[in-house]
Order: sequence, then structure tokens, then C-alpha cells
Amino acid sequence: MAALGGGGTRWRRAWLPALQLLRRGSKAVTRHWKAMHLQRQKLLALTEFLPPRPPVPPRCRPRHATEEPRQEDGYARVLRRQAEECLRGSRMVAVCQFNSLPDEDVATLRHFLRKHNIHLKFILNEIIRPVLAQSELRSLLPLFVCRNVLLVSPEARAREMLRVLKGVPQVVLLGACIDGTILSRQGVENFARLPSLEVSQGQTVAALSLLSSQTSSLLQRGPAHLTALLDEHIRRLRDTGGATEPPPGRSSGNH
Amino acid sequence: KNMASKVSLVLRPVKSIVVRFCPFEPNVESTRKFLQSIYHKKIQATNTNCEVTADVRHDGSEPVVDVKFADGDRLIMKGAHLTTGEMLTALASRCNAKDLKEEQKSKRKNP
Repeated sequence: MAALGGGGTRWRRAWLPALQLLRRGSKAVTRHWKAMHLQRQKLLALTEFLPPRPPVPPRCRPRHATEEPRQEDGYARVLRRQAEECLRGSRMVAVCQFNSLPDEDVATLRHFLRKHNIHLKFILNEIIRPVLAQSELRSLLPLFVCRNVLLVSPEARAREMLRVLKGVPQVVLLGACIDGTILSRQGVENFARLPSLEVSQGQTVAALSLLSSQTSSLLQRGPAHLTALLDEHIRRLRDTGGATEPPPGRSSGNH
Repeated sequence: KNMASKVSLVLRPVKSIVVRFCPFEPNVESTRKFLQSIYHKKIQATNTNCEVTADVRHDGSEPVVDVKFADGDRLIMKGAHLTTGEMLTALASRCNAKDLKEEQKSKRKNP
């Protein structure tokens, strides 16, 4: 207390931090850049904002060798089912390359093909490929590159189809499967030139019966020749008036 | 079809194009794409007199594009190891060269 009292004025002068600091330092808000207090510096350094790191994009991640099976699109499933039904229910399936054609020409082509009960179907390669791979038409797989169109029909009318396609050069016939037989373009043309089934059946029957009819005539030829010769002989004998020599037929009959 | 719109192909000096391929072979994709792009309406519009024929065979032969020009030249491209873009650019460059020559000739005649 005494010490406090003794050096009171001196102590007070030296121990008034507010006055001292004011004399020495500037205000809190200055126009120049003021050095931060150490405690404040430490606090700010501790509570500094660290922005979150953006995640690595999935394309930069290591990809697995086997991809998980993609979930099948419902629309793709529907299209695949339609394609399967189409292939199953048709006798003739022709694959053509479709180069660009104006819309009205497509409609006209559809109309002319519909007259012969041939349906024009646009299909996507990625849908038809698995369908074909499972069915027996595996050989037609290499045809499905670029834009294709299918001509399906429950009857096998190749001649009319070729006639219609001849008028449309933009649709190029590549191959066909008629009655389970895979044909190339030449095969289709040959098939169109063939006669109809009834005519060919009649021709086969005629050929077979011809052989059997020939057999019977062949067998009869020997005795027929013999009889003819004998008749000729008799006539000659009668003509010359030789009645003494009896005909050999009667003597053979006696035996 | 995208390539056909990008490449400016003027078919005026071309008389006929025959594309021969065997569709059951595995190397015909570029030739078929070439045929598809040739039939694009923009290119067909440049020359309606040009006859484009597709010859489909089944003898295992190589895919070939045979182009006959109006001045008698012939360009044969074997598409087995060529891409569609290469074939189109080759044809386009030759067509443009011939076109330029004809324009110069006509300019010289009618100054």
C-alpha cells in the first residue's frame, strides 16, 4: 500500500496501458495496413477456411476390365421382341441397304410393296444383331452394317419384289433368307426365275412317270419285234405261195 | 451422312460411279458408307446426270469403287483398306481440280 502510494504518480503514469498505447500506436481502423496482434494472427491461422477438395471425376478412376451388365432399356426390349416376332412369322426376309430417299418415295415404295404383301421395316443394327446371333440366321450378321431395311413377307414373292426394287436404285438388295435358305443377290434372282411350286411338282411327276412308262415299253420291245418279224415272214410266205412250210408259231404251240 | 455434308463434293465432272462389293465379307463397311454418302441429296443435287450403280456380288472379291469422269479419266479405289473419309476426300480433290480446269478453260474461251 505504501509502495503503491509512494510511487503512485510515477506508477500511474507508467501503468496506464490505454494512454501509453494510444501515444505509441494508431487507432484500430487505419488507412495503412496495420500489423495484426499475435493472438489475433494465431486465431485466424487456426480458423482459416480450407475449401473442400473436388472429387476425382469418374473418368480418371481406374476402369474395371469387365463392365457390369448394362440395364436393358425397356424400349430396346420392345423393339427386340418385335424383331423376333417379325423374323419368326415370315417366310421371306430380305436385307437391303437403305441410302437416303425422300419421304414421299419411301411412302410410294411402301405402297407398292404392300400390294404384294411385303412389309418394309426399318431396324437398328444394335437391336437386330443379338436377335440374329441367337436365331439360325447367323450368316446374315455381316450384312448389318450401315443403314439397313428389312423386307419381310409371309409369302415368297421374289419376282415382284425384284421388279419393285429395280425401280428404286437407292435401295440395294444384299441378301435374303427364303424358307430357311440363305440366298445372295444372285440366288434371289435365280429363285425369282424358277417356276412356281405346282408347275415344278408336275414336272417332277411327269419325269418320274416317264421313266416307268419307258420301262414297260422297253420290256415289251423284244417280243413286239419278234412278232413283227414273224408277221412279216408269214406275209412273205403267203405272197410267194409257199403253203408247204408251216409257220413256226404253230409248231411251238404244239410243243 | 455427316461426312457427306462436311465434304463439299461437286459431281459435275463425273459421268458414272460403280460401287462393287460383296456384302458377306467383313471389309466392306467403308465402301458401304461411301455408297450411302454418295446418295446424299446434297451431293446428288450437284449432278443429276451422274449414274450411281451398286453391284452386289457374292464371289469374295474386294470392294472397288470405279469412277468414270466426263473427260475420260478413271479413278479406281479399292475400299478394303481405305476409310470412307479418305475415299470421299480423294474423290472431292479430283473433282475440284477438274472443275477448276474447266472453269479456266471456259474463262480463256470467253474473256
